[in-house]
Amino acid sequence: MNKEKQMVEIWGDIVEIKSLVMSIIISGITTMGAYFLAPSNNKTKQLFFGLVGAVLGFVISALLIKPKRIILLEEELKKK
Amino acid sequence: MDIMLIIQMILAALAAVFIYTIIGFIPGTDETSVLMPITLTVVLAGTPPIIVLTFFIAAIVTLNLINAIPTALVGLPGGVMSSPMLEHSLFLKEKGMSAIVIKKMAVGSLIGTVISIPIALMLANILAPYGEKIKNFAPLLFFLGAIFLSLIGKNKILSILSIMPLALLFMGLRHLYWGIGIVPRDVNITTSFFLGITIGPLIVSLFTLLNKGKRQSMITENSKKIVIPSEARGSTTLNPFKILTREEMRNASVAALIVNFLFVLSPVGLTILFGETMANRMKDPVNKATTAITTMSALGQATYLSGIIIPLMAIGLPLSPTAIGPGGALFNAPPVFTVENNLYHILDKWEFIVAILIGAVIAVTITYYITNRFAGRISAFVLRKIPHESILGLFISFILLLAYMDAGLINVFGVLLIGVTCGTLNKMGVSYGIQFMTLYAAPWIIEKIILL
Repeated sequence: MNKEKQMVEIWGDIVEIKSLVMSIIISGITTMGAYFLAPSNNKTKQLFFGLVGAVLGFVISALLIKPKRIILLEEELKKK
Repeated sequence: MDIMLIIQMILAALAAVFIYTIIGFIPGTDETSVLMPITLTVVLAGTPPIIVLTFFIAAIVTLNLINAIPTALVGLPGGVMSSPMLEHSLFLKEKGMSAIVIKKMAVGSLIGTVISIPIALMLANILAPYGEKIKNFAPLLFFLGAIFLSLIGKNKILSILSIMPLALLFMGLRHLYWGIGIVPRDVNITTSFFLGITIGPLIVSLFTLLNKGKRQSMITENSKKIVIPSEARGSTTLNPFKILTREEMRNASVAALIVNFLFVLSPVGLTILFGETMANRMKDPVNKATTAITTMSALGQATYLSGIIIPLMAIGLPLSPTAIGPGGALFNAPPVFTVENNLYHILDKWEFIVAILIGAVIAVTITYYITNRFAGRISAFVLRKIPHESILGLFISFILLLAYMDAGLINVFGVLLIGVTCGTLNKMGVSYGIQFMTLYAAPWIIEKIILL
């Protein structure tokens, strides 16, 4: 069994299990990490920090992971 | 109202259009989970109420149209509201009609917005004197809504049977939290439960992956090949009357008009019901599909706009699925807004009208142009650069964050429980609408059973 390339279809698109686990861990850590950095008596800041953390995790994982889609433009197909 | 305020409102609307255009193109992003947290942040950051409203209206108008684009272009629904269009979109995509489908969606959304806003404002005005009385019937209306949606759905008995157990699940968790003192007695946790329902099917899929045998059967070999049709890149006419046939325009307008009166029902439910009804009146399969697309696009805007405008202006309670879900933060976001002091109490009639008009006009104009001109290019960019894995990660961390903020670590598992249960029911055929309605009606359902 090839552990490296396990692709599954979830929520209407293809993902690779390893990348998915990686992305969940990265986003989870940045989100909750940022949340706990916020002053604990201020709900607004906690939410704001958390969301910024989530976006940060999203950006990091988007840079690390390659989309599993193959995108072709019809024009380019025709040229070939 | 001075010029500075108007400028700020315009900026807020532009910000909403920008943010939700990007989010909208990402396939699979659920409306509630992308609208609610960002709106909540805008509210809690201390933004003036009128600007919050402008932002939110621009956000829903943008998201509703942009979400439909990936459905037409690549066959992946952009959100829950666009999933009813999927079958029809795929059919037309195979016929090579993606470009015209996008245009029809854009005009549909324009029709929905233009028709719904005056009607919703009018209804809000008519209902305002009865607002107080309606408040007393709210839970009953949600309960009847759940039963009604069950009866018009495909799995009637399954859906009706699932209402009670779901109500028990929600109230059971709330009572547990009250019992151990992690949540005050007067607080009904809703936000994170709501997201638990939303994310349910995803959680079930992820859990299934943890089962070795099942995982083997889910594995696919190939990456998804997506061809972006060339005719979707750049187009000619922007005239809505040339894009739709007279019949499509009439169907979309009538449907958009009717749903305003049904603002307490689930937007997805209404979209499916009226969209399919209008489509089924057509004989020719292509006509049927384009009618469905146009009507559903109009319905998306109309159900959301009436669902937020009427409860907000006339009642002050989140008495519709749109209001309690995506728009929840406009009604209740302590300490800024509470049920006793929210936009309903703060803004006067004219402030409402100005905010709604600025938000909607800016959003509908920009998105109408963008989708007609750049749909293909933006889509190619998003699909090439944004991996699905990161989106799933983002969602899961949203849920994690909001579940934790609602009631600590225990609620992370509570939401997981809700996700597994509701996701399983969802896959069996109990629609989101029924589950949401049950969540809102849960306290009433439990109270009435005790009284019986």
